[in-house]
Amino acid sequence: MTNKEKIEQLLLNVQKPARYIGGEHGSVVKDKSKIDVRFAFCFPDVYDIGMSHLGMKILYSLKNERENFWCERCFMPEKDYKQVLIDNDIPLYALESLDPLYEFDMIGFTLQYELSYTNVLSMLELARIPVLAKDRHALAPIVVAGGPCVCNPEPMSDFIDIFILGEGEEVNLELMDLYNEVKKRGGSKEEFLHLAAHIEGIYVPSFYDVTYNVDGTLKCIKPNTDDAPPKIKKRVIADFDNVFFPDYFVVPYTSIVHDRSVVEVLRGCIRGCRFCQAGFIYRPFREKSIDIIKNETKCLCEQTGYDEVSLSSLSTSDHTKIAQLLKELADYTDLENVSLSLPSLRIDNFSSDLLERLKTIRKSGLTFACEAGTQRLRDVINKNITESEILSTCKTAFEGGYTTVKLYFMLGLPTETDEDILGIAELAHKILDVYFETPKELRGGSIQISVSTATFVPKPFTPFEFEPQATPEEIDRKQKLLVKALRSKKIKLSTHQDDTSVLEACLAKGDRRMSKAVYQAWKKGCELDGWNEHFDFSKWREAFDECGLDMAFYANRKREYDELMPWDHLDYLVTKSFLINENKKAHLAKTTRNCKEGCSGCGINKSYGGVYCGK
Amino acid sequence: MANNLTPKNMALRVERYDYRLVFSKKGRARFISHLDMMRTFSRIFKRARIPVWYTQGFNPRLYIMFPLALPLGTESDVEIMDISLTERMDSDELMTRINSAMPEGLSINKVTEPAMDHKDIAASQYNIRFKLKNDKDTCGLFKDYLSQDRINVKKRSKKKGLIDIDIKPDVKLLSIKEDDGFAVADLILPSGNDKNINTSVLMDGFKEYAGEEFEQIYTTRTKIITKTGENFT
Repeated sequence: MTNKEKIEQLLLNVQKPARYIGGEHGSVVKDKSKIDVRFAFCFPDVYDIGMSHLGMKILYSLKNERENFWCERCFMPEKDYKQVLIDNDIPLYALESLDPLYEFDMIGFTLQYELSYTNVLSMLELARIPVLAKDRHALAPIVVAGGPCVCNPEPMSDFIDIFILGEGEEVNLELMDLYNEVKKRGGSKEEFLHLAAHIEGIYVPSFYDVTYNVDGTLKCIKPNTDDAPPKIKKRVIADFDNVFFPDYFVVPYTSIVHDRSVVEVLRGCIRGCRFCQAGFIYRPFREKSIDIIKNETKCLCEQTGYDEVSLSSLSTSDHTKIAQLLKELADYTDLENVSLSLPSLRIDNFSSDLLERLKTIRKSGLTFACEAGTQRLRDVINKNITESEILSTCKTAFEGGYTTVKLYFMLGLPTETDEDILGIAELAHKILDVYFETPKELRGGSIQISVSTATFVPKPFTPFEFEPQATPEEIDRKQKLLVKALRSKKIKLSTHQDDTSVLEACLAKGDRRMSKAVYQAWKKGCELDGWNEHFDFSKWREAFDECGLDMAFYANRKREYDELMPWDHLDYLVTKSFLINENKKAHLAKTTRNCKEGCSGCGINKSYGGVYCGK
Repeated sequence: MANNLTPKNMALRVERYDYRLVFSKKGRARFISHLDMMRTFSRIFKRARIPVWYTQGFNPRLYIMFPLALPLGTESDVEIMDISLTERMDSDELMTRINSAMPEGLSINKVTEPAMDHKDIAASQYNIRFKLKNDKDTCGLFKDYLSQDRINVKKRSKKKGLIDIDIKPDVKLLSIKEDDGFAVADLILPSGNDKNINTSVLMDGFKEYAGEEFEQIYTTRTKIITKTGENFT
């Protein structure tokens, strides 16, 4: 039996087998004898999640545009299929060729969230590739990783050969070209890594030595070779309007989380909410012109056959020409029976005009990310929306017939008091009042307000990177306080499980020693940690204990401004002094204007193409 | 909702033209579930720019109808799908346009008018190519299995869970031969609204009878048969 025949037989007994066999419309199959560099793009979570990820779609077609490169996809199998693979002795394979990953030149992981870390180890093991970087001696396969979590990749540094910092459209090709050159002349892994370290945005963790103080804090991070720069700068695409964007997607057979065309309209965010990592690490704010967006929308819809297109960004309504953009896009989508969705809108520019537009394209409810219950705390986190804006938007929405409102909040934010918690309940009740004040003939039948709270996780490269996370006991108390304060049956509360937030905080701010704990937890069977049914916090606790690491040291400890952070050798262009200044302002509940209102000097040079930089 | 009670396209009373497509589902495409076929075809039609007719309600949907479900993992030469278009199209052109937008494994073989009713469907013919593990005499064992007085198997019922039934009267073996270590059987089982027996019911029963797992099994639906014994497609 061929590998394919074997796999096909096994698929008769697993859940949603279409996830494991490839062959989807848009998947790229090449003749491997004509390929110089084979790249396996691995998403360390199941197909349904990974196939929804826009970054993978971009890099997949970017690499496949090049005749001599072949990029394939690989995902984490569900537990049932994983067992089938093990029982039948089939190594993890990529979906296009069905070839095992160990035959590839490069294995690339995208680290989108901390709870996917152990899946990286599982996937390597299933592929029969040594999990530890030091145990992989040959040039192939090189294991690389990118994505937002790479802004502090230290807890993954034992497993990954190369981290790619920032935006991947240029640096991925540069790295693969270099690899090709070294491979052709029969060079070694060591040689390749030394050369790669010269490329901007490339971080080779083994080229840096880390020392510690007696109190467990970091003493020094220093390169151990002249080839490695003391500070590694993230990559930015300055000419965002002309950046590569795919004109096709791989269209899955089975349903996935985001099953639609997606067009990126802008990158970066002008807002600077102090808890938000994306708001800082993706700076500066750049946008695409209307014609480009229109063209990309049309191409994608025609190629994929999706009847829905979504505009992707951190805050779509911040596009400088949003009204015109929506109008022109709607001209196309209306004609083609395609529905248009806008996932990230902000309250403050949510006008009745825009609402009118949305009414024709969306059937879902309103979602507000208020984040905090009182104006004082919203000022602390620099979420510049006011209660009156929220209420007036709700009023407009209720008059337009909307009947479901979702409100997102965080618990455990810096400086938070019980008054702030009660403020969440108060705000929800005020929104309820607005509904009942809306004339009966205008408003819809029955109102449902959902309040969701998540636990605040302090993240690197934000002004709150210095802040401790509230302890699980404290979060528990706060949640109970909120439950008591919500009195209406029309308001539903859902809270986030805290154990995962604790682990997220540890992994987000962890140092190199935490690699051992990740390894240990994985050895104990931790994987698919992002899934409640698989998450086992007790095993993680044991793993930390066995490695002599204290979760509270990482999650619940306040850092001084002069403490060396595990990610201080990485340069995400926003200066530390700006972050410190923002942190100080937070404690004074002082807000900072957004980029559009005027530059606040975060440190990003205007040569990076930011729309508002230096203005 | 207080205002705007009319569905989006209620005002448009569009003419509809009905077509019956006969298509095959082979290779990797056999892992597309019945539920996912709807999604898959709606995208194919969109890519092929077929003027499909939308249902007229609050949530307009493509009108696609599959009278018979095909079990996940089974191939077929004769799947049926009824669709409606908003304009008349030449059968050949319709077929070519759709086929140019199809993914690997799916292809339209025939376009007809929906002459017969779905209710006329009574049975399906299958070609099953299979081999037991550990070099068992698959062909001989299968013949023995079918020649029992009763063929007791377990069938999943919606109401009662797993039930024991005798399918002896339902199985009609047309031929069985050995080919390259495989047993190859052509047989007929009931399909449709009145009675439906999945090949896996028969084959799981065989596995139990033989006391061995399959090393390989390939099942293909080759014909759909009406109550009067005619070929439905």
